[in-house]
Amino acid sequence: MILDLHTHSIKSDDGRAKVENYCQWIRAKEIPIDGFVLTEHRQFDTSSDYSTLARKYDLLILKGSEVETEYGHVLIFGVSETLTKRIDFTRVDLPLKDVLELSLACDAIAVPCHPGRPKVGMFAHTDRLGLPEGVEIVETRNGGSRDDEDQIALRNAALHKYRGIGGSDSHIVSHIGRCATKFTREISSMKALVKELKIGNFEAVSFK
Amino acid sequence: METKVKSIEDVVFGEELPVYLPDTSLKKSAEFASLVGWEGARFSNHEKAKEEGLAGAMMPGILNQAYFSAMIHRWAPNSTLLSIDTIFRAPVIADQEYSMQATVTDIDEDQRIIEIDLIMSNQKKETRVLGTARIGL
Repeated sequence: MILDLHTHSIKSDDGRAKVENYCQWIRAKEIPIDGFVLTEHRQFDTSSDYSTLARKYDLLILKGSEVETEYGHVLIFGVSETLTKRIDFTRVDLPLKDVLELSLACDAIAVPCHPGRPKVGMFAHTDRLGLPEGVEIVETRNGGSRDDEDQIALRNAALHKYRGIGGSDSHIVSHIGRCATKFTREISSMKALVKELKIGNFEAVSFK
Repeated sequence: METKVKSIEDVVFGEELPVYLPDTSLKKSAEFASLVGWEGARFSNHEKAKEEGLAGAMMPGILNQAYFSAMIHRWAPNSTLLSIDTIFRAPVIADQEYSMQATVTDIDEDQRIIEIDLIMSNQKKETRVLGTARIGL
């Protein structure tokens, strides 16, 4: 099963894609993914219900978040009301340590994304801040990153034995599915996704 | 000869507009910047732009938007550009080659409005500018 784990819709301040158009695009262009996770910036979207679209297009549509830390941006999968009460998602200076630990404590998992990018990527900060503890997974394939930025992510992930996920980081419709994550098992819920991420049965794939 | 789109019924979801190759010469950048009252060297002089920390003189953002507009109107001459919304991921440097791609991503036949994804990429196929346009047709 292949899921794009990093997408943005018009719910994000810089997102320009409507979720139904993502679904139409995936089907019209035969993009080889089975679903996607909406990871809106600095928020968890509790109001949107995409279940009708998911059924109509036979796609898995899940919701996560992308938050901002001193080490750059971080995806969170398995966001709950409890977690949103313990982390202020709107802040741009969250301590990565807190995001990692509180996510695990709330049955979620946090994954630094586009770590090879300057400023917003984790590896841009490790020389100055040191290697953070508690990171198990990073996004090694990002559809919005340059190839050399993905190479930095891949090289450092291998060096530090991090597992890698992939996501398109799409902000416009036609970018969805450019990178994704291939799982060995079927996934039908966020709970199952978090479980598979914790087990480690996945690999990052690129369709750029 | 390229086919011109005349009405919304001619448009197909996922359709790609003909690729547009903008004139990104320093001369054009400087002329445009001067025309709109932006006299700074960052649009007209590579060396001085580098002194400002840029990789070279850059194309004015609104000129890139104008190129996207021209691309759309070449494809659909009867269309009305309702909005054009771009995110500049990186400066577009003058005297380098870029190409513009656009794809239809939403068709609202009731409102007769089309949405189009816009991408401007360099020779390495790296996206430098992305965005969307809404057009009436």
